[in-house]
Amino acid sequence: MMTQEDKAGHKRMSNDNVRAIMMIAPFLIGFILFSYVPIIYILRYAFTDYSGFGECRFTGLENFVRIFKRDPDFWQSIVNAFLLAAGKLAVEIPLALGLALLLNRKLRGMNFFRVTLFMPSVISAVIIGLIFSLMFASHNGMVNAMLQHLGIISKPINWFNTKWKAMFILGIASVWQNYGINMIFFLMTLQSIPQELYDCASLDGAKGIKGFFYVIFPVIAPIFQSILLVAIVGSLKICDLVISCTNGQPGGTTEVVMTYIYKSFFGKSGRNIEVGYASAMSLITAVILCLVTVVYLNATKKLKELE
Amino acid sequence: MAHIKKKWGVILIYLALCLFFVISFFPVFYTFMSSFKSNMDILTTGDLIIPREFVFDNYIKAWRLADFQTYTINSIFLAFFCVLGAIFASTICGYVFSRATFKGKEFIFYFMISSMFVSLGTLTLYPLLMIMKAFHLNKSLWGVIIIRVFGMNITNLFIARGFISSIPREIDEAAKIDGCSFDAIYYRIIFPLCKPLIATVGILSFRSAWNDYMLPMVFTMTDTGRMPLVVGIMHLKSSGDAASSWNLMLAGTAISLIPMIIIYIMFNRYFISGMTTGAVKG
Repeated sequence: MMTQEDKAGHKRMSNDNVRAIMMIAPFLIGFILFSYVPIIYILRYAFTDYSGFGECRFTGLENFVRIFKRDPDFWQSIVNAFLLAAGKLAVEIPLALGLALLLNRKLRGMNFFRVTLFMPSVISAVIIGLIFSLMFASHNGMVNAMLQHLGIISKPINWFNTKWKAMFILGIASVWQNYGINMIFFLMTLQSIPQELYDCASLDGAKGIKGFFYVIFPVIAPIFQSILLVAIVGSLKICDLVISCTNGQPGGTTEVVMTYIYKSFFGKSGRNIEVGYASAMSLITAVILCLVTVVYLNATKKLKELE
Repeated sequence: MAHIKKKWGVILIYLALCLFFVISFFPVFYTFMSSFKSNMDILTTGDLIIPREFVFDNYIKAWRLADFQTYTINSIFLAFFCVLGAIFASTICGYVFSRATFKGKEFIFYFMISSMFVSLGTLTLYPLLMIMKAFHLNKSLWGVIIIRVFGMNITNLFIARGFISSIPREIDEAAKIDGCSFDAIYYRIIFPLCKPLIATVGILSFRSAWNDYMLPMVFTMTDTGRMPLVVGIMHLKSSGDAASSWNLMLAGTAISLIPMIIIYIMFNRYFISGMTTGAVKG
């Protein structure tokens, strides 16, 4: 038999549940409307030849046949996004973690460096793209002028006339943009570790790299996993920076998947407005990103269990 | 010996940090300096970082002739409501997902998180525009604000839930015993403990609202009177002769950077204090 107290406790529990649901309801509705309705929209048009206005004809798998058989540019844009993400994260993540570890020392002036190193992250990707495209501009850009001044090169280099040079600039700009924010994430995590843990570690003689891997890393590993996931997904979805820096030039070779599809939806860069076809490409991209995430979460399962 | 070794270590740390200070600062410094060059000098004196002569013309032109006054007001409007909304959205959702006990909570959480991998930023721009068109909000920044606040930023949610989960449960259990209801615990206990989280979410959402490009761009497509700064700068780049408007773009860039940096420094104080302060120690 239930005692009086148990009943009261039970009642309040369910009351709390109602309140909890009320609290997230507006966000849940907004979330469904802005995250899932667009997906339904894309699913609906992926099998049509809709062009934004006028009639919309069901074409079955025609769009997908076109993607797989007749659109190498789309696949090129996917490969570009992966190359760019892999290249920049290989530099960015170790750099951000390293700097966070340095800033976590109790030394004078650390706050100054923390504030200034984070600064690039507060600037718009679009602005960064503009700044880097000006700095590396082939005629009278700052970098070329400096290199000539120092006698390293005799003629100005055109940084944006081949794919790899342009991708290199995009990579630099992207690392510059993002290392500060990741550094702050890592630093936040490191500072949430109680001082006692560091003290214990150094008492036990675990210092430097050893101390990091045996004492600190296991504690931050679960958060590290989240930070890295956000960084990977974010990098694959790079868009603004590419639009403002190269806009896919030269000749569409630096187009990444997001810019490529955006241009099909809105008919930019001389493309036709093809809502149906762009929807189909979005669907394929969504599946690819999903796969990346699943593979990543499986591969890093151990990080979660370290704690 | 150990003492000397330690000293060298400290010097190396400072050297590394100074190097990154220069790397971080240089492109911005370069932009500010270039914004004071005359248009002629921008195109011809690439190797001079400090301008031959300082010209304020670019700012006056940008502010008066190129609509940057309007862009600035629009940017402030957009950022203010996005930050306010994001702070409430992320702390409320973070709290609910960390502490609520209703059935299906985990399911809803993973349902939301899953959107991170399917709500594909740029890819959903067109459908979002069409959804807001149904509410007749497709031609103002209110559409952007509503999407940003109620659409939930998953990064903020991740951070908020992580932070609130790290607040010891003993605190709200104590409050529960004292008779606090679920929502009272949120605004009496959890929210006041969330200052570092609010600072972080505030900075992140200010940054993204102020810098947001694609979404405000499609919502203000042809209407220059509603464009925020970044959209305005790109509009300037794409319309007309880009080479002749580098000076206006640089001035516009500087105009968009100044409030950003000021607000960042203001919020930064919250970062400095109590990032690590736990409520229950030991």
